[in-house]
Amino acid sequence: MSNTSAVINIKSLTKAYKKEQVLKSLDWQVNQGDIVGLLGKNGAGKSTLIKSVLNISDIDSGNITIFDEEHQHLSAQTKGRISYVPQENDEILWLSVSDLIKFRKQFYYQWSDEKVAELISRWDIDTAKTLAELSPGQVQRVLIILALAPLPELIIFDEPAAALDPYARREFLKEIVSLASTENITIVFSTHIVSDLERVANKVAILEQGKICYFDDLDTTKENVVQLIICHTDDAEIDVPNLLRSKKNHQGLNCVVSQLDENWLEKIQKQGVAVTVNPMGLEDIFLELTA
Amino acid sequence: MDQFTISPSSGVPIYKQLFSQIERMVLNGYFSVGDHLPSVRQVATSLEVNPMTVSKAYGLLEERGYLTRLRGKGMVVAQRDEAFCEQEKFKMLNKMIEELLMQAQQMGVNEKEIIDLVTASASKNGVNSIKSKE
Repeated sequence: MSNTSAVINIKSLTKAYKKEQVLKSLDWQVNQGDIVGLLGKNGAGKSTLIKSVLNISDIDSGNITIFDEEHQHLSAQTKGRISYVPQENDEILWLSVSDLIKFRKQFYYQWSDEKVAELISRWDIDTAKTLAELSPGQVQRVLIILALAPLPELIIFDEPAAALDPYARREFLKEIVSLASTENITIVFSTHIVSDLERVANKVAILEQGKICYFDDLDTTKENVVQLIICHTDDAEIDVPNLLRSKKNHQGLNCVVSQLDENWLEKIQKQGVAVTVNPMGLEDIFLELTA
Repeated sequence: MDQFTISPSSGVPIYKQLFSQIERMVLNGYFSVGDHLPSVRQVATSLEVNPMTVSKAYGLLEERGYLTRLRGKGMVVAQRDEAFCEQEKFKMLNKMIEELLMQAQQMGVNEKEIIDLVTASASKNGVNSIKSKE
């Protein structure tokens, strides 16, 4: 046991597919108790990053530890503390759900039959059917149940909500909320559905051009990244600190800053410049930060 | 448990939305001194938000003196000085007025016109305090 609270620690991770460099010397650290939403455009490499961390894909270079163990040589105990829900179903299709659950249970030190029973009844899953007979949404739910049954301390979801309808997505989020309040659990989930993330994540990470280009508290992000509408009558140029972009229109200057400088704001407001500060939703923030 | 509402996709962080909602509910008497607030877990589950978000809002309300943590019993509305409450009410209204004035300035409406508008609106809606005390 070490005294650091880092659950996942990545240093200089590099990975290429053929000639295309997907991850470029990526550094990232996820701490215990974090519920991280990993955002990125399609093809940014979110799945590649997740599969690299879990040693499903080989990496070209770099260093990854999970629970302070080198990711290629995790002990069986540590593996038991980690769950993963892949984007695409990789379970055995011809087994019935009940047999699949029995089969998977054998591999774990810890397994909650209560949790399985509770979720199966709540999510109304016919355990006599095989995965091939279930709808994609139902399959995803089964995968989520299999991931939660071993009472993991780290769960990694790759686009967990992709196959779920809005109702099932809410149910899934509810489950995450309940996990987050009962256990000291760490969750990483990749998504491009920003609204899912806004409810449950406390941190947001953005993967862009092979690196984690942004990682901060969700609340801090919303407090920092704001839109400013600056109305000024004369044509004097106004120097806006931490400017991400700006556009002139008939009203004045419409800009987005990565961090609002309160001192600057007070100063120019004293000079008689009218500034409106508008908060921005995460979706807009994401678009601004990756523009 | 549906006493609070949030809009997750707003640019205002959820903990802040909860904070101002509960602050208002204490100041306008929806919650009285000694009332129990629902537990962090109850609020988190019903709103489907991260429990840390709820804790953060409660913590801030405790810090500002609106709530007190009773050991084993959760959060209750704190006993507070009347004068302080009045002050907080005015602070909150002042913020809204500042916002209003800023918008008015941008629309080119002057101070006198604003005051007339407020007076007219108050008498129309019967918000005038002297009238309501009669």
